[in-house]
Amino acid sequence: MKKYALFLGCMIPQRLPSAELAMRKVFNSLGLRIAEMTGYTCCPDPILARLMDRRVALSMSARNLSIAEGQGLDVVVLCNGCYETLWEANEFMKRGETSKEINELLAKVGRRYDGTINVRHVVEVLHEDVGIEAIKNQVKKPLGLKLAVHPGCHLFREENGGDIWRKPKQFEELVSATGAEVVRSDIDQLCCGFPTSHVDEEFSLKHNLLPKLERYQHIGVDGIVVVCPACNVQFESGQLALRRYGAKFSIPCLHLVELLALAFGVPAKKLSLEFHRSPVSQLAARIE
Amino acid sequence: MMEEVEIVELLKKNIPDGLLSVATPRVRKVSAEIAPATIRKAAETLLGKGARLIIIAAVDAGLDVDLLYHFDLEGKVVVLKVKLGKENPEIDTVADLTPTAEWAENEAAELCGVRFKDHPKPGHLVLSDKLPEGTFPLGKPFKSKLPDEICPVAEAVITVGATAPISSLMERRRVEAGLPPQPPASYSSEPQLKEVHELIRQTNFSKQAGYDWERKKLRGMKK
Repeated sequence: MKKYALFLGCMIPQRLPSAELAMRKVFNSLGLRIAEMTGYTCCPDPILARLMDRRVALSMSARNLSIAEGQGLDVVVLCNGCYETLWEANEFMKRGETSKEINELLAKVGRRYDGTINVRHVVEVLHEDVGIEAIKNQVKKPLGLKLAVHPGCHLFREENGGDIWRKPKQFEELVSATGAEVVRSDIDQLCCGFPTSHVDEEFSLKHNLLPKLERYQHIGVDGIVVVCPACNVQFESGQLALRRYGAKFSIPCLHLVELLALAFGVPAKKLSLEFHRSPVSQLAARIE
Repeated sequence: MMEEVEIVELLKKNIPDGLLSVATPRVRKVSAEIAPATIRKAAETLLGKGARLIIIAAVDAGLDVDLLYHFDLEGKVVVLKVKLGKENPEIDTVADLTPTAEWAENEAAELCGVRFKDHPKPGHLVLSDKLPEGTFPLGKPFKSKLPDEICPVAEAVITVGATAPISSLMERRRVEAGLPPQPPASYSSEPQLKEVHELIRQTNFSKQAGYDWERKKLRGMKK
């Protein structure tokens, strides 16, 4: 039975606890175990961290990684932003010079990180460690839904020279494994607009989110599946915010682990889908 | 003739608690940063050794005004730097100790808004007396070097180690959903949060960002 250190990050506990619940139930169904990362901090946020200070960003990331290393476990994350930050920090920490500098800082708070663990996105864990067939075996309610998949920018993060489509393809295959039809559009790779919303909300809504929602509505999707709480929040709060500009959408958006939980037969009421600000509960009712 | 190292020792001896840092970056130069409250003691020390005040340069650094008191002591330049928080940019005058300071302090006052307590002749030096009160031509906005957009998140990350703390409403909702009120994050444990704060202090980021550890706020952040 495989075990991982669970890095929840900031947004899931604050904005999307339903994904936290679903993840625990999905992992349990698949025989995966998790250990809590006591005392973890913000990853920190990949966009903001680069604007802040390299040393504070790397030392916070390395401190998080040291918690998992102390448990002897790889880290699993449910957020694209956390994935990129921790994955990159891990790469930096495996290099001598950066590692020395950051470990000198960590030593001042009694910690050390030796770069012995890996950072895994939940998509990788489910696809590579569990496998599509094992996922299909758990599906109790095949989803006859037409779903858009939004991989999100940071899911494309890969080693230099690596296949940037590796994880997005895995993501699609996981959604397909639920019995849902994955529908593609030519702007699947367009950013949802969450990062730019910090700077110019109207721009992010009109130039990122609106074209995506229009395309999905035109295709007639039943919902949008994401693997990042920031994308989820942008799709949900953004639909509400777009009403200010006369654009009305009501497309459910949910995290992959929630979709899997529903397909595995977990009752919707046990997933607290009311945390969502899009009609995810209604989508779940259709499944049930 | 005093050597640079002797000047350093002189400062260390006479302002032991107020000397924040001191260095001799090159020959015939000594640079020190001192606490604002010790400016008179420091000036008296140097003047007592026959130094003369060359000039006081004021630089608005965003969150603080830096005052650079340049002294000439036996052919060596001694620069005393004082950082004045722009929340209350006030410092004791040294104009009664050395007349050179009188105009220099007036200039720093009118261009950067520094208030010199007990200045013998306050008033404009180079600008019109008709200039509206509170107008300081070399003053900059009261803000840190961080972009405005990231200040709230930076403040939260320093304060609680997360982009935002969990609200009490969300804690209740999490419990109703069958989850613990808080995840096992640093903000749920005082010792863990203390460790995070110490790490952030060690990186010097809180200083660069202008974080006030007592108020738990970023200085100069737009509301």
